[in-house]
Amino acid sequence: LAELLNSCNTEQLVFVSNYISPRLKRDFLKDLPIELSLHILSFINDPKTLSRASSVSKFWRSLLNDEFTWKNLCVRHHFRRRSSAVPELPPSPTSESPSSRSNKFSYKDHFRRRYIVESNWKHGGRTLVTHISPDIGVVTSLQMCQSYIVVGMDNKKIHIFDVSDGKYIKTLSGHEGGVWALQYIDEVLVSGGCDREVRVWDIDTSKCKHILHGHTSTVRSLKMKDKTIAVSGSRDATLRVWNIEEGRLLHLLAGHQASVRCMEIFGDIVVSGSYDCSARVWDIVTGECLHVLQGHYSQIYSIAFDGEKIVTGSLDSTARVWSRQTGFCLGVLQGHTSLVGQLQLHESILVTGGSDGAIRIWDLDTNRCVQHIAAHDNSVTCLQFDEKRIVSGGNDGHVKLWDIETGDFIREMTSAGNAVWRLAFQETKAVVLLQREGKTVMEVLDFDAQES
Amino acid sequence: MSTSNEQKKVKLTSSEGTEFQVERSVAERSVLLKNMLEDVGENDMAIPLPNVNGPILTKVIDYCTHHRNDPVQTHDDDLKKTSEDIDDWDAEFCKVDQGTLFELILAANYLDIKPLLDLTCKTVANMIKNKSPDEIRATFNIQNDFSPEEEEQVRKENEWCEER
Repeated sequence: LAELLNSCNTEQLVFVSNYISPRLKRDFLKDLPIELSLHILSFINDPKTLSRASSVSKFWRSLLNDEFTWKNLCVRHHFRRRSSAVPELPPSPTSESPSSRSNKFSYKDHFRRRYIVESNWKHGGRTLVTHISPDIGVVTSLQMCQSYIVVGMDNKKIHIFDVSDGKYIKTLSGHEGGVWALQYIDEVLVSGGCDREVRVWDIDTSKCKHILHGHTSTVRSLKMKDKTIAVSGSRDATLRVWNIEEGRLLHLLAGHQASVRCMEIFGDIVVSGSYDCSARVWDIVTGECLHVLQGHYSQIYSIAFDGEKIVTGSLDSTARVWSRQTGFCLGVLQGHTSLVGQLQLHESILVTGGSDGAIRIWDLDTNRCVQHIAAHDNSVTCLQFDEKRIVSGGNDGHVKLWDIETGDFIREMTSAGNAVWRLAFQETKAVVLLQREGKTVMEVLDFDAQES
Repeated sequence: MSTSNEQKKVKLTSSEGTEFQVERSVAERSVLLKNMLEDVGENDMAIPLPNVNGPILTKVIDYCTHHRNDPVQTHDDDLKKTSEDIDDWDAEFCKVDQGTLFELILAANYLDIKPLLDLTCKTVANMIKNKSPDEIRATFNIQNDFSPEEEEQVRKENEWCEER
């Protein structure tokens, strides 16, 4: 054979080479046992490659429809299956019958949808609706979950919008002063403000069920434990625990020496942060003060609590981590150069936003700052994060999206205004309240997959 | 472990009947051989490997000798695996024709040498990555067996992840 090849000219050798080389190739995925083929595919976490591979041949297509590969990919991309958070897409009229698609969970479909949502967050999405309020008002509070977007204003009004399409539903009027705090669970909404009242509303009927009197100054913070119990904190330095079903006071929590600025509830425990520089841990059931958390040198503006750890943000430009159990200070988080007004805590990740315009990401296992982001030219007025991203709003009017892993800037979420008041987001939606050209503007952004 | 024990040789026989002698620590990179050696205990008998031919066994021994002191893989690493993290020696090791690579995958699977299986599978994965369907077909000499209609349908199915 060698002799034969030696006597060939170049042209002939090229022919031989072209003739032979395909024969030396193997269709690995087809010829290997299927579990090994899937093992090969498990090393590819780029969906583009996988989908291109599925166009190679009939066999490759069938192999790439295997759920194993897509499940793997879901895990790799952290697309956890959260049936509650990821509602099924409504079946589009052109696709197969509803029954065939709604009953069967497919990792491929799940991945596809999540991938589109992810990429929409990064460089797509659309403005679902923009509301420009005719009345000039400062937005003080916002909650988006379940079925409503609820917005509290300093002009006494509470506006309610539909989460699914962003459309205006109704306004709850009754407060005689600015609304400064609110929360809702299902149809029960509780609000408080400058008129020193706490109001309990039924969203369905728009009726104010109870007007709870007692506070002698502005209600500045408010949280619901459930649909029966709510706690309000006031500039009068007290907290009040209410039975909001029956409309009566259960406990008066006295102890703070100045305005109660922020609070958080977990289980039967409420923690409060005050302008008296301390935070307190209270038992909602007994009304007892369990701990006084002392250490900050200046007013506390923000608080987070996960049942174990309490984090407080202060005008002294630090955040402190406390043990709920012992009341001891577990760490002082230094880095911000101004008021730490924004906090969110999830598992061991804490994200803080300061009046210095910075966002800092902390690892609470070590109490170290793992990312420092120079986010805004002015105060960070609002922020929220999940396992993939941080969205922040600033007094500079910008709404920015960041990668929580790397701290990298991804993009601006909307055109800038004069100042951003509040924002909130879910898996496929974000709502932003800002002042733009002197007007109060609410934008609802949608990142869901658009079925054609 | 004493030095004399370390030097202990294990005999392996390839599919053609060729005998190979390797140190026990090298042979034990294979979970299959490790279990066999534990079962038979001290024994001079050669272990027959009817599924592995001589040239492939030579390559496998090469690999195991180079990686004889590697720490055991933990399951945790599995989730973080990507096909990019191949070191120079391993990359060089995998520069073989497709037939050999194919046989290596089968041998690694049969002998239960997970790092080698991962390495060879990653190598194939890298041959697939960032290629168009045509390029993939050319790489592995695959016939496009779709009808034009089917091809159009597949293209539509996959539109969602292009150009994003």
